[in-house]
Amino acid sequence: MNRNVLTIVVGAVLVVIFALLLFVFQVRQSEVAVVTTFGKPSTQPYDKPGAYFKWPWPIQKVYKFDGRIQNFEDKFNETLTADQNNLITTVYVGWQITNSPAFLNHFRDGSVPAAQTMLESMLRSANIAVVGKHPLSDFVNADPKALKFDAIENEIEQQVQNDLRTNDCGIQLEFLGLKRFGLPESVTQTVFDRMKNERQVLINKEQYEGEAQAQKIKAAADRQAAETIADAEADATRIRGQGEAEAAKMLPVFQQNPELANFLLRIDALQQSLNQKSTLIFDERTPPFDLFSRLPTNSPPQHE
Amino acid sequence: MSDDQEHHDHGHPVPPVTADDTGSQALAEALRSSFAIVKVAMLLMVLAFFGSGFFQVGPQEKAVILRLGRPVGEGKNILLGPGLHWSFPYPIDEVVKIPITEIQKVSSSVGWYATTPEQELSGEELPAGPSLNPAVDGYAITADRNIIHTRATLYYHINDPRRAVFDFSSGTNLTYSLAGVSNAVQNALNNALIYTAAHFNVDDVLLLHVNDFRDAVLERVSDLADQEQLGIGIDNCEVESVPPRQLREIFAQVTTARENRIKALQDALSYENQKTNSAGAQATTIIAAAEAARNRYVESLSAEAKRFSDLLPKYESNPSLFAQQTLVPAMGQMLTNVQDKIYLSERVDGQPRELRLMLNREPPQPKTAANP
Repeated sequence: MNRNVLTIVVGAVLVVIFALLLFVFQVRQSEVAVVTTFGKPSTQPYDKPGAYFKWPWPIQKVYKFDGRIQNFEDKFNETLTADQNNLITTVYVGWQITNSPAFLNHFRDGSVPAAQTMLESMLRSANIAVVGKHPLSDFVNADPKALKFDAIENEIEQQVQNDLRTNDCGIQLEFLGLKRFGLPESVTQTVFDRMKNERQVLINKEQYEGEAQAQKIKAAADRQAAETIADAEADATRIRGQGEAEAAKMLPVFQQNPELANFLLRIDALQQSLNQKSTLIFDERTPPFDLFSRLPTNSPPQHE
Repeated sequence: MSDDQEHHDHGHPVPPVTADDTGSQALAEALRSSFAIVKVAMLLMVLAFFGSGFFQVGPQEKAVILRLGRPVGEGKNILLGPGLHWSFPYPIDEVVKIPITEIQKVSSSVGWYATTPEQELSGEELPAGPSLNPAVDGYAITADRNIIHTRATLYYHINDPRRAVFDFSSGTNLTYSLAGVSNAVQNALNNALIYTAAHFNVDDVLLLHVNDFRDAVLERVSDLADQEQLGIGIDNCEVESVPPRQLREIFAQVTTARENRIKALQDALSYENQKTNSAGAQATTIIAAAEAARNRYVESLSAEAKRFSDLLPKYESNPSLFAQQTLVPAMGQMLTNVQDKIYLSERVDGQPRELRLMLNREPPQPKTAANP
């Protein structure tokens, strides 16, 4: 009796566990699930984590997909820009399954590679359409206002987003960006040649400008130095003029007796001029040698 | 237990007497002991069931408990650090282990020519061809349509582990790692590199505004990380840019030309400095000389005037005597200074003497072409 109760309890627990395994399934945080009833997907997506009820196989079947953002990038796309430049671009996207029933409907068994193939072709056509609308100057430009980098990315993203919506494949883009853009291999060589020329121009410019600048500074320095000296000489002349003006004030002193002044000046002049290395020739009339003429001599001129 | 107890209690008041009873008693004994074994086994199983909930987290990893698929904890608390932890056994709880280090690092994958770190270290890079193949060689195009190589390394940390682990796919459905978010960060970094290069002129990237370029890359990565909600915090970003190897030499020449220009400019400035200083010194000398000359002139003249004033009364009293008195000593003094003195005495006949002088102090210059 009691033993029977125990058996029944244990049996019941086992049945409950078995039933739970059959009738309940878990959806993880990272997953989205869809339940099919006799192969027909439910309309309700199971995109929140938790435990859910289902009828056991073969009535209902559970498909689980990775509900996280998946990184994907397309291959090289060579596209003509609006101004006939060949541009090679690669775009990266983050995409996510947002509607699992639609995803399962659209791709057999919810195949991710199939979804990626579709995404790639959508990216390619969007790329061609958008890049073809823009000249190269929209991609690279020093003027931030003229650069349309973000706008181009947005346009591509919009177009792909629209395509995805029209197709109703349960996928949504989370983000999209240009991963790289380049030029065809043959073009890089011409770019190199142009860069080389530009560098050469730059080298010459640096040389000539440098020389000109240095020359300018030196010339300015020379001029300034000359000006400084000229100013100083002007000042010197003015200073000497001051001296003469002061001297002029003393003129009345000498004017008391110009004769004496004249006499003194002549004596000074004489003294200065006969300083050295000079030869003087006198005759008897020059004082003080006139004394000689009055001396008695041996000659007999008086007797005649 | 109570069942067993009751069973014992029932057994004692009616002691068995027959052989049949002995057989059933033996059976009951056997059942009892096997029940005991089952009980022990069940106890062990219960212990094992809860014991299986213990798990260990290693030093370079973290763990997350998913309870019915939902991470336990909020924000950074969902990550369990190294050590021993316990969770309910599957299918209630599920333990997910994720390799996470404190600082994440990712390098850009576009913008650099084909090389490997080993080749770079050993200096055995493949020689550059005449052109760049877009399939192997990465590069960026600058605003002035120059080609440069540029690469970046980004250091970041995970701010939002739930977002990083559960919102970015790491490839397969059942694995959890940071590969997905790391891939997204790398793409953001790649995008930031080519986006920023498209804004900058080649000289700014390589030489003039290297730091601005790096800051712009960093800003773009931060913007993208916010936009795409990567749940990361950026710590640092290193950017390296070089001209194409095909043009390395001519780029170096530009640098040399720039340096030469700076040097020429410095030379000119030092010339200017020297010239100005020496002119200033010369000007000072000129003015000082003029001032000295003025002072000397004025002083000597005033001395002269004083002497004049002193002599004037003497002169006025007898001009002729004064003249004699002044002239004669002066002559005496002069004559002592004079080198040659020639005295011509009066001729006997009283006529003036004629004197011829050969003035030939300087030798006559020889005739040349310059001096006809």
